[in-house]
Amino acid sequence: MIGQIIKKQALEFLRNPVQLLLLVGLPIILILILGVALSGFMNGESPVIKVKLAILEQESEEVQLERFADDLGEELPTEAIEEMENILPIERLKQDVLGSEEASKYITLEEISSEDKERVLNDNTYTALIEVPENFSYEILQYWFSAEEKRSSVHLYTNTEHQLGVSIVDGILTQYQDQLTLHSFINEKQIDPVVFEENLQNVTADVSTMGQQRAVSSKDYYTVGMAVMNVLFIASTIGSIAFLEKSTFVFDRIILANVSRWTYFIGILLSGMIFAFLHLLLIFGFAWIVFGVTWPNLFGFTFVTMSFAIAVGGIAVLLTALCYRLNSEVITNFFSSILVSLMALLGGSFFPIGDSSAFISKMGNVTPNGAGMSAYLSILRGNELSDVTNHVVFLLLFGVISIIVAAWSFPKRGAAL
Amino acid sequence: MLELVDLSKKFKQLYAVKNVNMFVERGEIIGLLGPNGAGKSTAISMISSLAEPTSGDVRFHNESILKKPGDFRNIVGVIPQEIALYTDLTADENLQFFGRMYRLKGSTLKNKINEILDLVGLTDRRKDVVKTFSGGMKRRLNIGVALLHDPELLIMDEPTVGIDPQSRNYILETVKRLNKERDMTVIYTSHYMEEVEFLCDRIYIMDHGNLIASGTNEEIKRILSSEKTISIKSDQLNEQFISLIQEHPLVNRVVTTDKEITLMVAKEVSMFVELTKFAEQAGIELTSVHNRTPTLEDVFLHLTGRALRD
Ligand SMILES: Nc1ncnc2c1ncn2[C@@H]1O[C@H](COP(=O)(O)OP(=O)(O)O)[C@@H](O)[C@H]1O
Ligand SMILES: [Mg+2]
Repeated sequence: MIGQIIKKQALEFLRNPVQLLLLVGLPIILILILGVALSGFMNGESPVIKVKLAILEQESEEVQLERFADDLGEELPTEAIEEMENILPIERLKQDVLGSEEASKYITLEEISSEDKERVLNDNTYTALIEVPENFSYEILQYWFSAEEKRSSVHLYTNTEHQLGVSIVDGILTQYQDQLTLHSFINEKQIDPVVFEENLQNVTADVSTMGQQRAVSSKDYYTVGMAVMNVLFIASTIGSIAFLEKSTFVFDRIILANVSRWTYFIGILLSGMIFAFLHLLLIFGFAWIVFGVTWPNLFGFTFVTMSFAIAVGGIAVLLTALCYRLNSEVITNFFSSILVSLMALLGGSFFPIGDSSAFISKMGNVTPNGAGMSAYLSILRGNELSDVTNHVVFLLLFGVISIIVAAWSFPKRGAAL
Repeated sequence: MLELVDLSKKFKQLYAVKNVNMFVERGEIIGLLGPNGAGKSTAISMISSLAEPTSGDVRFHNESILKKPGDFRNIVGVIPQEIALYTDLTADENLQFFGRMYRLKGSTLKNKINEILDLVGLTDRRKDVVKTFSGGMKRRLNIGVALLHDPELLIMDEPTVGIDPQSRNYILETVKRLNKERDMTVIYTSHYMEEVEFLCDRIYIMDHGNLIASGTNEEIKRILSSEKTISIKSDQLNEQFISLIQEHPLVNRVVTTDKEITLMVAKEVSMFVELTKFAEQAGIELTSVHNRTPTLEDVFLHLTGRALRD
């Protein structure tokens, strides 16, 4: 019985080539247009996130190193000095971490002097300013070589509007500082520059794991953006078809055949889920073949797609129930004409709107399409399913709650009038 | 078999159906006649267990259908006033889908579909999408779908609205056949009195939610035994002529359309002389003047002062 209802729904979809074209063709065209037109903005292969970073050193590391060598009191061989030069912490940070090939794809580093500090802080295009106080490297060297605890730390000024960028810079610095402090054991081993070198390479290695994350191209981005937006129209289309069944009294006929309204309800729900799933597979499949949008983690992709399809099924049945209850299609029309666009905007389908503020980013992630988008993008970057658990759980919860609300508001009697 | 007891349905302030009492015996064709908005469809939706009455009851073999709609639904076939079909699907697919809803399967369903397509004359169009059908073909399929489960009682809500005369005759003949050959009991709703006169054993006339007359065709017309109907036709009808007639003391009721005036007078009154005089006064020429035997239409006019058709 439910199978018949789903089969009938599928036939209705297939018999409307225009609608089908809009559902499937439109997102593909949009991916193409947006992906190509905005590839400059997204810089082709480079990641979506752009971080403009300034670094201000209150005192040159060279000077600090000389002072450190002098203060040691004893004459050091030039080789030792040279080795130390190689492990100067800020120089390494600039060269190997922030300046690595991977990192420099999304980070532009600018070295500034004290006079520029005010200007940079007032310039909204900067994501962060790293200020290194006087004596910083000197103290690090002291800490490494003589285990003296007195240490000052780097100061990070951040632009809260660049939420994503800030978290990246913050992550890099935290990791780096952890690495710097880890090396107290070096004390025991006396001066052995080679070990530091290795350890510093560990730091760079760690950071480059971040960099090794796959870059998200504009085509990737818009494939996800358009897919998660357009699949919402599956829900509204199913809602419309279902309401048409009520207004043309076909639903009455089904009830008169002694079919439980819950059978019908489940039919709507399942067709919503199945069609949403197929729709996503179709769009992503097409993008894979034509645009080369590949998924490093197919399991993660499938799981996210399934969760998302459940959420869309929930929306479909919720729209249906509300239309039946209010005996009007107004809700579905509002959903497809206004709400979808709004949700798509918040969710980041058109551009990474979440980067502009933490609040909008949060708002975006509580829309099903936004949560789906975040999950997909994360999987695309090479993350595991476990990294997107929060989004997946949200999608499943969203689906379940929609279904419950729908079941509760679905009229129990009085179908005809 | 079926009985309506003080059946009422109220929408906000309006009684769409008010204290309607009816009975239907097995094998009868019952007509429910009334103008648009009389409350026929509202009554039908309660009779077919789809809408809950505000008060009153529908009893099937002396049991309220409200308590166990399931049993009743198994034996009733309902043809809604609207084309309740999937217009994107073919005739075959529609019958297939609804057949499956009625839990028919395999060869039983296949045979049934063939039989119904033959009955409603759509066998050669079975593979066509309903959207491409004419109004009459859609109506016929609309009826066919309600016959899939061999109902004992067939409820038809204005099954001939907006279709060509051939399809209309086909449908009327089909209803007659179903009643004769399969002993199907039929409740037939219409605002066309000819249909109801042609088909029905007994007739109920509704207006503004109320039953205003009931009985066999002859019984109802006997209401008019003391009156007769005069129909006047002219292309030049004007205000003056109409008001002259309306003000005449022996005229009981007048209904005017573009080119026709219908008036009722006591059986023994002759109006020919007066009518000719009025026409002269108003400066118009009459095309025809007829004394008519009363129709159901005239009964409705007599009881309500309005014409049946809008
Ligand atoms: N769902 C409804 N809500 C409010 N009024 C209704 C509803 N359905 C019908 N009516 C009103 O009830 C009256 C009877 O309508 P209906 O039963 O459709 O008449 P008929 O079928 O005889 O043309 C009309 O005045 C109509 O406007
Ligand atoms: Mg009606």
